[in-house]
Amino acid sequence: MHTSGKRWRTAGAVLLTVALTGGTGACSSSDDAPSAEAGGAYTIWDPYPQFDGTSAWATLLAKCGTDSGVTVERTGYDTSDLTNKALLAAQQGNSPDVLIVDNPVISTLAEAGVLTTTEENKLDTSAMAANLLGAGQSGGKTYGVPIGANTLALYYNKKVLADAGVDIASVKDWPSLTAALAKVKAAGKKGITFSAIGTEEGSFQFLPWYWGSGAQLTALDSPQAVSALTLWTDWLKRGYAPNSVINNTQTTSWQEFATGDYAFAENGTWQLGNAAKAGFDYGIIAVPGSSGGTAPAPTGGEFVSIPVQKSTARYATSAKLVSCLTSTDNLLATDTTLSYIAPTADVQAKQVAENAALKVWVDAVNAAKGRTGDNLGTKYPKISEPLWTAVQAALSGSKSPQEALTAAQTTAAAATK
Amino acid sequence: MISRLKTAAGVVLTAIMLFPVYWMINVSFTKDTDMRASPPHLIPFDATLEGYRAVLDQQLPYLGTSLIVGLGTVLLTVVLAAPAGYSLAKLRPRGGGGLSFVLLIAQMIPGIIMAMGFYAIYLNAGILNSLPGLILADSTIAVPFAVLIFTAFMSGIPDELLQAARMDGATTWRTFVSVALPISRNAVVTVSLFAFLWAWSDFVFASTLDAGGDHQPITLGIYHYIGNNNQQWNAIMATAVIASIPATLLLIVAQRYVAAGVTAGAVKD
Amino acid sequence: MTANRGRWAAWAFLAPVTGYLLAFYAWPLYRNLDLSLREYTVRSFVQGDAPFAGLGNYTKIFGDPTFGPALLHTVVFTGASLLCQFAIGMALAVFFAQHFRLSATLRGLFLVPWLLPLIVSASTWSWMLNSDSGIVNAALGAVGVDPVNWLTSPQWSLTSVIIANVWIGIPFNLVVLYSGLQAIPPEINEAAALDGAGGWQRFWRVTFPLLRPVSAITLLLGLVYTLKVFDIIWIMTRGGPTDASTTFATWSYRLSFGNLLPAFGPGAAVGNLLIVMAFVSGLIYIRIQRRQAA
Repeated sequence: MHTSGKRWRTAGAVLLTVALTGGTGACSSSDDAPSAEAGGAYTIWDPYPQFDGTSAWATLLAKCGTDSGVTVERTGYDTSDLTNKALLAAQQGNSPDVLIVDNPVISTLAEAGVLTTTEENKLDTSAMAANLLGAGQSGGKTYGVPIGANTLALYYNKKVLADAGVDIASVKDWPSLTAALAKVKAAGKKGITFSAIGTEEGSFQFLPWYWGSGAQLTALDSPQAVSALTLWTDWLKRGYAPNSVINNTQTTSWQEFATGDYAFAENGTWQLGNAAKAGFDYGIIAVPGSSGGTAPAPTGGEFVSIPVQKSTARYATSAKLVSCLTSTDNLLATDTTLSYIAPTADVQAKQVAENAALKVWVDAVNAAKGRTGDNLGTKYPKISEPLWTAVQAALSGSKSPQEALTAAQTTAAAATK
Repeated sequence: MISRLKTAAGVVLTAIMLFPVYWMINVSFTKDTDMRASPPHLIPFDATLEGYRAVLDQQLPYLGTSLIVGLGTVLLTVVLAAPAGYSLAKLRPRGGGGLSFVLLIAQMIPGIIMAMGFYAIYLNAGILNSLPGLILADSTIAVPFAVLIFTAFMSGIPDELLQAARMDGATTWRTFVSVALPISRNAVVTVSLFAFLWAWSDFVFASTLDAGGDHQPITLGIYHYIGNNNQQWNAIMATAVIASIPATLLLIVAQRYVAAGVTAGAVKD
Repeated sequence: MTANRGRWAAWAFLAPVTGYLLAFYAWPLYRNLDLSLREYTVRSFVQGDAPFAGLGNYTKIFGDPTFGPALLHTVVFTGASLLCQFAIGMALAVFFAQHFRLSATLRGLFLVPWLLPLIVSASTWSWMLNSDSGIVNAALGAVGVDPVNWLTSPQWSLTSVIIANVWIGIPFNLVVLYSGLQAIPPEINEAAALDGAGGWQRFWRVTFPLLRPVSAITLLLGLVYTLKVFDIIWIMTRGGPTDASTTFATWSYRLSFGNLLPAFGPGAAVGNLLIVMAFVSGLIYIRIQRRQAA
């Protein structure tokens, strides 16, 4: 009888201790009503959970903080989650001071009234390349600055191509690319891998081919669009691309390429580090257009923005933080770490000076388009989802490319009325 | 002899069930370039320890936090649910049946909805990004189930035992603590098991309510290897392997106690 | 006098849990209801002035072409998962109840799938079921069967997620059914054996009827948990290809969080449909229980 009482008392004591330790932990990390004095704590949210507190990125953020006279509290989130976290936080008045998000999300957040414009926060965006800045603009106002850009190109395995007797210089347009794939398959290797998953990533990977056929996002069922989707479906049917592309993320697709069995992989600048570790000789060509030339590829990469705060006096310091992050020297360091291309001409020049192989990528980025550009803004997500659904339907064989895209256009038109 | 056959059969069945776990271990030792090898390697020929090195360097604090959160959730769940189960089983207040039904439905609310609702409450109460807050949130996964288990079990306690204690002059609370609880040891262990496992593998609450905290559980620590563009699968699987070891040991020990009559009360003689 | 004190004590014991329920479940439930009855754009979600839309969101989802397939898949997914999990869990529970050497340790090991974060288990199954580099297709190839596109074909994607879900659900069924078996006095089984009943007969005529209450609660809880399942499906197939493995849970998530432009209203409406389904099942369970007790 006594023992059970003692057990309860011990249990209670343990619970109290846990609560107290947790509580003191919470006290040290909680943000009390943010005020605009120097030396306060400024929160930065970014989509790079792979960088922990000891990484170069976190050190850079801390340094920018001390340079601006404040302490920085940084949290890294999973990028697909960050939109919802930002919306939820804004709803509760708990927005961070600086928010770094993937570029197509900027228009959504801007429409929700979560972000400030450059008029409000006095950021200087004059040095930024216009095509890259486009994704952060809507209704004539600018809501953020790019921290770097990346885009897609075709990596190729030199040995596989040589063994199949393919000269890379001959791959200039779609027919020659398909012919090269046929030769590779005949030589016993695998052709091309990419990502056609049913999320924004799939649309992202399909866009170079889509735009390369001459199609526009406002007419998903045009003959050019159908030809782009037919290109992919044919590759799958003939075994030039594996069935797994339907579920591949860009990482998984890269892993397939890294086995050394594939001739081509469609992937982005961020794989450059992995490419060096791949253990075989690789090269890069731009994604070809349907009848030659370079296909416009979509821009990837994150934007730095300043969310709306209750106390507008905070914007001045937040703008200082952002300018520090996007200063020439810091951009060079950051973009090298992330394997992105810088958004300003002089830093691009510096990147090429350090690594001449980046010239291909710099050219590709300069030719790239923002997904939410062309004044699509928040219409883009309503078009992108039917597009990736159509790609999935065609590749998995449930619909023909024409049927799939017609259905997609009906959905997209209805959603964007 | 038959017993040995049964053991062999048991081992085979367990091996089949745990094959995906073996695969997870296999991937944790695989080099990045071999991840998508076709045909896949049953044994990691070209094994690499880089995943484990990364985990041992970085993830141990997360494991510690997960342990604290798990144990805290267990404590809170038992403290809340045991008296309630006793009341519904033995004290039979009017409207108790309705409460049981509400508990059942309460489990139906998707975790993400709960998490979004809690966000506002926690922000205003100042417990966002704190461990007690996370423990409280994780307990919401376990408490309804725990009350149901305690109710079912305690209805099987013979009334004579409780009446004997009453006649000796004990209060309801005393009867509960000194008679009902010790007998319900198996129910306590079962509830603790479930509560610990649910808290250990929770992601939604941790991600919404503790993402900015100084102490984070392992389910968030894993995201360290899920970058915005690249994922390090051998490290992710290595984290899962290392995270499973202490929990598995706890499980094997606890299984012995989840023996008799958790649901004894449900069986009518 | 004692009766009053008893009633007071009864509610005093229940007070913490009742308060807890009100504080932590009532608010999110209310929020979800509110989300489904208003027309939310991202702007009004943040700024907070969404117009009342009555049942507009519900009509929208009922008229959506995804509704029919999602309903069908939810029913099939839940039904098949429950059946398989329960049957396998019961068979294993009966097997382990025989107390041979190592049975306790092996039983403990069976719970390991439960320890793993869902992202890990779902990813592992994805890898094993990959069309080109998965071990399952490699094994099928070794016995001369053509590779199956487990995750990427509309015919097989639902089956694949059901298999993974059953795997994850077996531990729960095993633990609860095993405890139920332990509660049956061994004398009953011995008496039946003495009367000459064979093993299968003993199980079907003696053990199984005694397990009915435990089975009922296991199935009901299993139903509630399976209706909620979305992580596994989302990670393995994203509900595709083309909605081939979309259930209400994944649809709700996709509407609210799975694309660039969240549609909270319809997403919450689908979520509430799930709660209604669980509610109805709960009512059926109570009706069956009452009829049994009568």
